[in-house]
Amino acid sequence: MRILLILILLLPGCSGSINTPVSYFNVETPRPFGYVIGDEIPQRIIIETRSGISLQASSLPAKGQINRWLNLNQVTIKQSGQRYQIDLRYQVFYAPPTVKALTLPGFTVQFNQGENKPEEKMLSQSIPAWSFTLSPLRELVVRQTEQGEYLRPDSPPQLLENTQAWYGLSASLTVTVLTAAYLSFLYGFFPKLLRRTLFKQALRKLAGLSKTDMEQVLSIVHYALNTLNGQPLFYNQLSDFYQRNPQYRQISAKLEWFFNYSNRYFFSAGMITVTPDLQQIKDLCEQCRKIERGSL
Amino acid sequence: MSTETQLIDWRDKALQFEQQINQVVIGLQPAVRNIILAVFARGHVLLEGNVGVGKTTLLRAVAQGLGGDYQRIEGTIDLMPADLIYYAYLNSEGRPCVDSGPLLKHGDTLATFFFNEINRARPQVHALLLRAMAERSINAFNQDYALPHMQVFADRNRVEREETFELPAAAKDRFMMEINIDMPNSDAVLDELMFNPRFHDTDQLIGNMSNNRFYYQLNDLAQTLQQHIQTSPKLRAYALSLWKATHQPQHYGVQLSDVEMPQLLMAGASPRGMSYLIRAAKTRAWLEHRNHVLPEDLQGVFSVCMTHRLFLNPMYAYRKEQLLPELITGILNQVAAP
Repeated sequence: MRILLILILLLPGCSGSINTPVSYFNVETPRPFGYVIGDEIPQRIIIETRSGISLQASSLPAKGQINRWLNLNQVTIKQSGQRYQIDLRYQVFYAPPTVKALTLPGFTVQFNQGENKPEEKMLSQSIPAWSFTLSPLRELVVRQTEQGEYLRPDSPPQLLENTQAWYGLSASLTVTVLTAAYLSFLYGFFPKLLRRTLFKQALRKLAGLSKTDMEQVLSIVHYALNTLNGQPLFYNQLSDFYQRNPQYRQISAKLEWFFNYSNRYFFSAGMITVTPDLQQIKDLCEQCRKIERGSL
Repeated sequence: MSTETQLIDWRDKALQFEQQINQVVIGLQPAVRNIILAVFARGHVLLEGNVGVGKTTLLRAVAQGLGGDYQRIEGTIDLMPADLIYYAYLNSEGRPCVDSGPLLKHGDTLATFFFNEINRARPQVHALLLRAMAERSINAFNQDYALPHMQVFADRNRVEREETFELPAAAKDRFMMEINIDMPNSDAVLDELMFNPRFHDTDQLIGNMSNNRFYYQLNDLAQTLQQHIQTSPKLRAYALSLWKATHQPQHYGVQLSDVEMPQLLMAGASPRGMSYLIRAAKTRAWLEHRNHVLPEDLQGVFSVCMTHRLFLNPMYAYRKEQLLPELITGILNQVAAP
């Protein structure tokens, strides 16, 4: 009879504990004072559920605006077994004129039990609201000076060390400019500079050629003369050429020979090239080089 | 006689003929040289110039010097194609008669046909000339007449535009050259023209010119000449570049002020135009004592052979007088050989 009585007394205890889905529940909050507008308030909720019961993530407040002055910036859930660690990060945007008590609103977390059936009653755990005090950012007494409202600026932040970056930037800029200049030189964007090295380049190209490459030899010299002239130069335009470039008049006989030779080579049949011709063309090019350097 | 000596012999005659003309018509040496080129390349010539600068005198002198049968007609607004072929009249007995017109009068010996003021004639007349010039034959009285020796010289003055008809492109293309005759700019020549009575009476001036009587051999000569004068592969490449440049000058770096180059040209040179250019260049090489063509030969005849074959977009046509010479110079200055 006594055992039966004890059992009867214990029964209500069993039924009560089975309705609580949570075996451990704790809300960790920071200090409840000393906040100003724009501060972030972290809140950590630790929940351990009973086996077969899991947290319904959608029941947590959504990231974004909670009310007029409160924003929820971040919601993170870390789960390890039946233990949930929920980190919430609020930010306050309230500008109180005096110290004011505010409350982070409470909410209810819901749980799923096993294979959740719709008709079953939802299990839940309410998270209590949390009060804290918010201080004004600005001074309490509004003082006026001649310049207007008195507000002291924050001390300027210390600048980061950037000498290294400056060195790096200047070095890479120098390399870029030099490369661009070299490229433009290669592409012929500096006609005046190019004109002063025309025959130097021509001589370099002529160096390895023999009398069998006469077509190439003539083309190289023609190209140099054409570039110097700014447009294709023909035999009958030599007098205009001398007017524009009077320093070349002193080798007019050689130039005329060259144009005649080129005309015969390119436009008449049965021309035989000999080594002295090649030498003569190279001599002409040498002389032109001297003229372009100003040493003749 | 070998071909070589024959050509040398003919060259002397041609140069002598040029000299004769230069004595009759003074101060027009470049134009005379071009006409000589056209005569020996067997191409038709269109002369353009101001009034009284000596176009007609020059052509009469050429016709007189060449020998051969000569006909002349004046372009008027009521001239019809039939007027060139026949004319009908009442004879002294009052009977209607039909006689051959200027084109047919000399039959196949017609040599120089001089069409004065060609832009005053109607397009119908131009159309008749199209065939006569290209094929050297016409159809009349239900039969074809061949005119193997005919060379057309036409002139037009550029002062008046009223009551004139612009020559159609097809007619222009059949002329080998369009030569501009400008007033001589040397004071000595102008003084001579004003005060020397020799130049006052053109009939007498031309009458005094000796007739060389070699006209009917010119076709054979031209054929020999065209075969004998050589063109090298490089020169052909150069001519091809020039041709392409007349179609797309912008690809050869030709740039004119205030012109969108891709929109400038409506049509470039035709294949016929280019063949005329090469014929003229070969003749020029021959006159310059060479047996091969040089780029300077092509350049020498490029302007006279090409200017009338390039057709500008209507947007630019009103600046034709300024743009075309610039374009031609631009092409010659930008295309390189080799």
